[in-house]
Amino acid sequence: MAITSYEILDTTSDVTTTRTLLHESIPLTGTIISGTYGVFPSEENIKNYTHGQFQSVYDYPYLSSSANHIFDLAVGFDESSNMSKSAGAGPTGSGQQAKKINMYNQFSQVLLGYTGSNNTVRMFELDLSLDESGSIAKEAVFVNLSRLISKDQIKKGSFSITVGYGTWSAPFGAKRVLTDASASDNGGTTNTFGGDYGVLFDTSSNPRGLVFYEAGIVMLSTNSFANDSGLTPQFYAHPTYGNLNIIGTFLTSSISGACDAVRHRIENIAFNNTTEINSTIYFCRVPHNKYNHSANPTYLSASTIRVKNVNTDSPIAYITTIGLYSASNDLLAVAKVSEPLRKDPTNEMTLRVRLDY
Amino acid sequence: MSLKKFGENDVILNTMKTHPHSEFFIFDGTVHYNNVPGQSGAFSDRVLNIPPGHVSLYELNIDKGDANLFSYPFITKQSSGAAFATVSATSYSNAFVFGDIMTSSYPMSASITRELMVTAGQREVGVDSNTGDTFEAAPTYPHFYALKNRLNFYGTLSEHYKVSSSYGDKALQTVNLLSIPSIFYGQGIRPGSMSLKWYCTGSMIGELQDVKRNGELIQVGPVGSPGSGSVAGVVMYDEGFVLLTGSWALNQASLLLVKDSGTPVSPSWVYWGAGAIDGVTVSTTGASYLSASSQLSFQGINEIQVMTMFAHAKRGEVNYSNNPTFLEYGQTAIAQTSSLIYEENTSRRIYNTVSSSYPDWRAPFKRQVYVSRVAVYDESRNLIGLATLSNPVLKEEDEDLSLKLRLDI
Repeated sequence: MAITSYEILDTTSDVTTTRTLLHESIPLTGTIISGTYGVFPSEENIKNYTHGQFQSVYDYPYLSSSANHIFDLAVGFDESSNMSKSAGAGPTGSGQQAKKINMYNQFSQVLLGYTGSNNTVRMFELDLSLDESGSIAKEAVFVNLSRLISKDQIKKGSFSITVGYGTWSAPFGAKRVLTDASASDNGGTTNTFGGDYGVLFDTSSNPRGLVFYEAGIVMLSTNSFANDSGLTPQFYAHPTYGNLNIIGTFLTSSISGACDAVRHRIENIAFNNTTEINSTIYFCRVPHNKYNHSANPTYLSASTIRVKNVNTDSPIAYITTIGLYSASNDLLAVAKVSEPLRKDPTNEMTLRVRLDY
Repeated sequence: MSLKKFGENDVILNTMKTHPHSEFFIFDGTVHYNNVPGQSGAFSDRVLNIPPGHVSLYELNIDKGDANLFSYPFITKQSSGAAFATVSATSYSNAFVFGDIMTSSYPMSASITRELMVTAGQREVGVDSNTGDTFEAAPTYPHFYALKNRLNFYGTLSEHYKVSSSYGDKALQTVNLLSIPSIFYGQGIRPGSMSLKWYCTGSMIGELQDVKRNGELIQVGPVGSPGSGSVAGVVMYDEGFVLLTGSWALNQASLLLVKDSGTPVSPSWVYWGAGAIDGVTVSTTGASYLSASSQLSFQGINEIQVMTMFAHAKRGEVNYSNNPTFLEYGQTAIAQTSSLIYEENTSRRIYNTVSSSYPDWRAPFKRQVYVSRVAVYDESRNLIGLATLSNPVLKEEDEDLSLKLRLDI
């Protein structure tokens, strides 16, 4: 029906915007990461690719439509790492050296960018300074969390991962919990190309990794899996070359083989994600002397107002719908109230219409 | 970076209409949706953690059992006033202070539900505590009262919609109300697509279809069945409700179809769908209930707005890349630099990427690029979209190239 009068919204006093942060608690247990859906390392929820650059982990056998992609795993090292100059236990070239270097550079290029002085790709540093000094992680494991679970970003200060550095047969006989407890919305992070990042510390405050909140990527230094001697002798039971330590694993194994070893040593991952919901709130003010009449055809019966018994009664209307129009009177949105609101000349009301996007 | 502006005919807006098909089968107090079998996992009998016949909203918490921690959403009470729909305004104000966390739970699920309304317009009887007089109190079936206005509104489509018409007064009849959540159909149920089938001991004894596409559910089969050609109910396409009032016996059988009744009834449309999350099971009725089964199928309407953009790379344009590997490696980037001058090397060579058919021989140089991405900017030059090609496309200098970008909204 035709609208004959409009109430013009004052954009300074009748319209405001808000932002709500919706979070989800995401617990990922190690049981779905390794050993549940088949025989390690050929579980049905683990997808390896012919390009061999990373490995995908699902929460259920990935051929099922119920499966969700949880994260991708990859390993890599910088070209200045001793590993890039060494040969592994296997035949030359078996360890995908070039791909591992490319993988490291790809992540560091996207997440950290280039140094100002030499214009080279940065290396991951286990601190917040980005000064190319201190503890540098030249060899790393990358956990690339799916957007399905990381949403807009990981909530700062909520991330934790439990990794084992025991023997291959009992990986969690010795384990450590890494958290970003020092990070929060108010500090403890550094902003760089890939967004904000925080440092993952163990319970003794040793830095062992980084978490990039907006990117949803976790970088674990190889020292996350190191025992007191700096190595874990039985880090990976390689099907051909037997027990390998971390260095041997990175050198000799393919990326997917090293990812298998890492999966075997992740006991838990837990974090809270964040979704930003932006809202515009329109305060629709209904003064006492307006909107007491309805253009609804059923409002009248035999040319008299249905809800009036005698002609001296005040007019009454019931508000059910609010239409929001553009400056050219085009209907843009409709808001409904849960139950009709009685309106007569004795009352005024302000209806708060919230538009989420 | 130079930008190309979309022309008048380069941006097209369309609406794509899809019709998702849904099928429900109801038997033994269980609803089966689209013939999807139950899927068991390592930790849970049902990997989606929802009852059969339901859909899970986000499909999180796959294959989690009692021993597992579940994902759940939460909101911190803050000035924006946001809360979950399950938190009432009173509870929001009184039960939480600013900084408190309000939690909800996953999975959220939905399925069809049935409600048998014997004398649909019936009201409870209230007693005035002062006088002892009785009066009509709250409706026994509030869902019927909620739908009355809308039913009368659709009376222009068919008299059968009207609550009270020459076909009877629904308020005095037994009404079989089936509620279909919108997650199954989208913006509405497609007129002409609805089918309800009644099976007794495995044989179809009746089928309703909205063949006239006006909401009337007409018995179309089996041929010669009792009541064939009659209207047994109506479907509310936009709201997702089916109201069945056809009470004629579809065959001579006598089945226990009413919860806690103990009285056998003849199969009729008012008892169609018994067991669709309405408390009707073999234990609340009797063994003969297992002779009954029902099937519902329909198509939904889901409109998707589609923006199609044509990005043109004309000959002589878009033939340079800022990728560092576009230039030959090892060239001096800066010709001279001092405190007074900065001059780039103007004679740097482009790496020849022209494919050669022969080994140890490089094809003659041609200026060409590989287009791998198209970025879309708004009027203020903010990057608002990025389209990445599955494979880079070769663009030679003397070629025109048009890339079609499609954005589903």
